[in-house]
Amino acid sequence: MAGGSLKRCALEGKIIVITSGKGGVGKTTATASIGAALALEGKQVAVVDMDIGLRNLDVVMGLENRIVFNIVDAVKGKCKIKQAAIKDRRIENLYLIPASQSDNKDILNPEAMVRFCKELRKEFDYVLLDCPAGIERGFENSVAPADEAVVICTPEISSVRDADRVIGLLYARSITPKLIVNRIVPEMVEKGDMLSHEDVVEVLSIELLGLVEMDSQVIISTNTGVPLVLQKESSAGQAFRRIAMRLNGQKNLPIEIPQSSKSFWKRVGQKIGIGK
Amino acid sequence: MDIQSQDKSQVRLKGVKEGFYVTLDPTLPQVFLEEELTRLFNQLQHLASNSRVILDIGETQNRQDVVESLTAFLKNKYHVKSVSAPQREQQMTEDKPRKLDMPGNWHQHHTDALIIAGRVRSGQKISAKKHLVILGDVNPGSEIIAGGDILIMGNLGGTALAGQPDNEDAIILAIGFKPIQIQIGGIIAAGLPTSSAHTIEFAHVENQGIIVENYIKANPFGRLTWPVVR
Ligand SMILES: Nc1ncnc2c1ncn2[C@@H]1O[C@H](COP(=O)(O)OP(=O)(O)O)[C@@H](O)[C@H]1O
Ligand SMILES: [Mg+2]
Repeated sequence: MAGGSLKRCALEGKIIVITSGKGGVGKTTATASIGAALALEGKQVAVVDMDIGLRNLDVVMGLENRIVFNIVDAVKGKCKIKQAAIKDRRIENLYLIPASQSDNKDILNPEAMVRFCKELRKEFDYVLLDCPAGIERGFENSVAPADEAVVICTPEISSVRDADRVIGLLYARSITPKLIVNRIVPEMVEKGDMLSHEDVVEVLSIELLGLVEMDSQVIISTNTGVPLVLQKESSAGQAFRRIAMRLNGQKNLPIEIPQSSKSFWKRVGQKIGIGK
Repeated sequence: MDIQSQDKSQVRLKGVKEGFYVTLDPTLPQVFLEEELTRLFNQLQHLASNSRVILDIGETQNRQDVVESLTAFLKNKYHVKSVSAPQREQQMTEDKPRKLDMPGNWHQHHTDALIIAGRVRSGQKISAKKHLVILGDVNPGSEIIAGGDILIMGNLGGTALAGQPDNEDAIILAIGFKPIQIQIGGIIAAGLPTSSAHTIEFAHVENQGIIVENYIKANPFGRLTWPVVR
């Protein structure tokens, strides 16, 4: 049940917001997968669903039926962090702090989130905030306490436009964001029917963390409850594992470029993005 | 407004604050000049009558005869109010250019330009009182506005408004010219054809329309005999 024993960390943990502007691009998928991968690296990790009123990180992680308390309870002091943090069923050191389903986003405010995350820092090495779509209150609440930001973008014009907007807003708050391009279909890119990651990086020009392929395992994993990153067959799962390693300090880990199955070799690109 | 491709017509017309500015080569046959003027002035419709026309036949030509006959032509056919010669800053005496050529003299001249470096992102808006120079890319979804020229040392993908509110002499120049929309003075061009990457192009107003041309080929300021302040 909720709780379990949370180890204290020697150093203060990092708060990372996962954001995009546009909805449905893979923030929740990325939060669950990167969180799981960081925990597999031996880190104490909390993933936090900031989508008050529309929670779904719990569903993706298969922890829906264990929710007793949620983030609003924890922020308002109605429960302890320990009580709101649900331990993952499979992965050690991974905890979920779920959103409240019944409230709306105005129940939280940036100042309260900064205070709450200060507490979370003491308990976890990494705290990943799954930001809701949009650039309103829910975005403000998620960005205010963040030390770092990961922007998720798909290879579509509208997604790039929204990501660009969000990147501007993050820079305005002195946060330097990093980029993940998700849902890449290599066959379409090769035919010229989809923007390539180079096109996306050219416009957004921020450091690239990784490229994630469109992968049916993402949906299968949501249904079976087996974390994506534990599936050896899943290209998306493996991409998220490498992304987690890069976030965790392995800066020189090469970025693998998704290839259509007919290609023989895995092309490896190291010099992509800014600051590489 | 319609967008014309590279159309190097020998008779050009543009709207200015005072009326219309017509540039032509007086050595061309009179019949041809009248035909071209008819074509351009017909487009102006009712705006032509009672307007002031500035007729520019270039500097080196001394063709008062052509000026007179075209003045009569425009007055009779389009009832323009007046036809006059341009006030030429460049029409200088012999020693004025020499003075200008002196290195120190330029210190007395100045022009306002906002020069910024970096990427302008979607949702961001930058406006400059006069000229705007951006060293970097201007992303789709952003908006840049200037009272004078806009010069972008990078890709222009956003919306650019130069010469605001009413300076149709302003230009918009970019190394990668692929804007969503541009406006010069009061003239708007949307849905510009996308051009090949990384050729330096510039937009300017000609005959009441926005024209985009290769900057190097058109060399629009190459014909100024002396550098002038913009
Ligand atoms: N790499 C991927 N391959 C296939 N489907 C994906 C991928 N990433 C996300 N999806 C699917 O896209 C949908 C939206 O993803 P989600 O993570 O909920 O986005 P967001 O949180 O940004 O709204 C979900 O149905 C998810 O399963
Ligand atoms: Mg989501």
